[in-house]
Amino acid sequence: MKKKTHSEKETYDLAKDFAKKLKGGEVLCLVGDLGAGKTAFTKGLAAGLGVKGIVTSPTFVLMKIYPVKSSPAGILLETKLFNGVNKANHRIKEMAHIDAYRLKEGQELINIGAEEYFRDKECVTVIEWADRVKEIWPKGCTKIYFKILNGDERVIEVKK
Amino acid sequence: MKDNKVKIILAIESSCDETAAAVIKVTGKKPEILSSVVSSQIDIHKQYGGVVPEVAARHHVINILPVIMEALEKAQVNKKNIDLIAVTAGPGLITSLMVGVEAAKALSAAWRVPLLAVNHMYGHIAGNFLQPLKFPAVCLVVSGGHTEIVVLKDHINNKKIGQTVDDAAGEAFDKVAKLLDLGYPGGPIVSAEAEKFKVQNSKSKSNAIKLPRPMLGSQDFNFSFSGLKTAVLYAAQKMSPKERKARTSEICHEFQNAVIDVLVGKTIKAAKKIKAKAVLLAGGVAANKKLRESLREAAESNGFKFAVPEFKLCTDNAAMIGLAAAQIIKKKKVPLDNYKKIVVDCGWELN
Repeated sequence: MKKKTHSEKETYDLAKDFAKKLKGGEVLCLVGDLGAGKTAFTKGLAAGLGVKGIVTSPTFVLMKIYPVKSSPAGILLETKLFNGVNKANHRIKEMAHIDAYRLKEGQELINIGAEEYFRDKECVTVIEWADRVKEIWPKGCTKIYFKILNGDERVIEVKK
Repeated sequence: MKDNKVKIILAIESSCDETAAAVIKVTGKKPEILSSVVSSQIDIHKQYGGVVPEVAARHHVINILPVIMEALEKAQVNKKNIDLIAVTAGPGLITSLMVGVEAAKALSAAWRVPLLAVNHMYGHIAGNFLQPLKFPAVCLVVSGGHTEIVVLKDHINNKKIGQTVDDAAGEAFDKVAKLLDLGYPGGPIVSAEAEKFKVQNSKSKSNAIKLPRPMLGSQDFNFSFSGLKTAVLYAAQKMSPKERKARTSEICHEFQNAVIDVLVGKTIKAAKKIKAKAVLLAGGVAANKKLRESLREAAESNGFKFAVPEFKLCTDNAAMIGLAAAQIIKKKKVPLDNYKKIVVDCGWELN
């Protein structure tokens, strides 16, 4: 998938839609320069998954874990979109938000237990600045590339 | 614990890269710091451009007991005199927090002294509790990982009314320092560069660098610093390497002003809204001289009392955790076996 967005809001909305296709266990590796839209994408993704509250930068702590509001038991199957939040994704219980911005090697993430989240089928992991820790990208991860065009225009490309 | 008795609190803090312990004596209402020991790892983490959690944790393990013992020795306090142990249980780096919390639990069990978990951000606020305060108060808490506006009804009851929606103020300083190749930690470096500009050049130029004041006009009490950092990047990218070097102090000056304008503007707005009597400042970034001066000036000119802890109580330390505990135990009895219930909560938010 390759899409062009024209504002931060569009990037956010794109991610919110993208979140609805997720099933749990995905590791999303976000690659792009400062200001390319990685954070906007992550915020949209969180909103789409049903994370409550504000998603703030994890640069300082490297990794933040957000609970995903699960849908009530019994109405899990065939659930329609409700308020734009993916209720069918009842398996996704957490979003792990990782920022590799200030890292030199991926081992640092392994040391704080990031791999546990990579393997967790009930968790969606997002790694910003993922190009800095390529050596620990798990098999089958989804690569998302952000390119700055003119002004607020961005190209966002998703590769399996 | 009985009231009006002299109480001795041993406080432990290890939420990030400082291993700290302190002894606080509370006589009646008045707290006093008997000792405060901080072992910093800043030189170790400098080379990484930030704190490396696993490295920090290993150094905490090495430092924690010597630091606690030193604090007790300096305060001339014996373990038998301790009425309470207080420990930071969050927010912070999980691997760092665990070292302090587990050490505190072990001491609590072995010495049979009750253990109280303290929120690190409330601890920062409590750095102000050595001085008499007026309430309600609004406190701006700024650090490497947090930027929050907290309303205090009294010493204990607090409510967060605003926060950053992306990067913390301290983080923005770190990132700007990194993208200008100035080193780590960013706060003191960027601020020193900013000062240079003032001294060298007080005249404004027509091509002066202008940065945005994000969310200054928004109706809420939230902040955003992610876009400001990007604006610095764009400004720097437009310059040749030579020009960039020559104008680094100007960029830092304008960046610092932009951050401070927003922090001060929002805090004063909050103080007016809740009809506060006092404005407080706390957290590691409260060590920034320009921010202290600007917020003091704005608070006092608007008729608010202003308070900020002394420098050594702004950056991470255990004395502030002890001061926080001294307030909490006025309202809450801590059972002897409380240590069994305490768990690290790296995302522990103020209410």
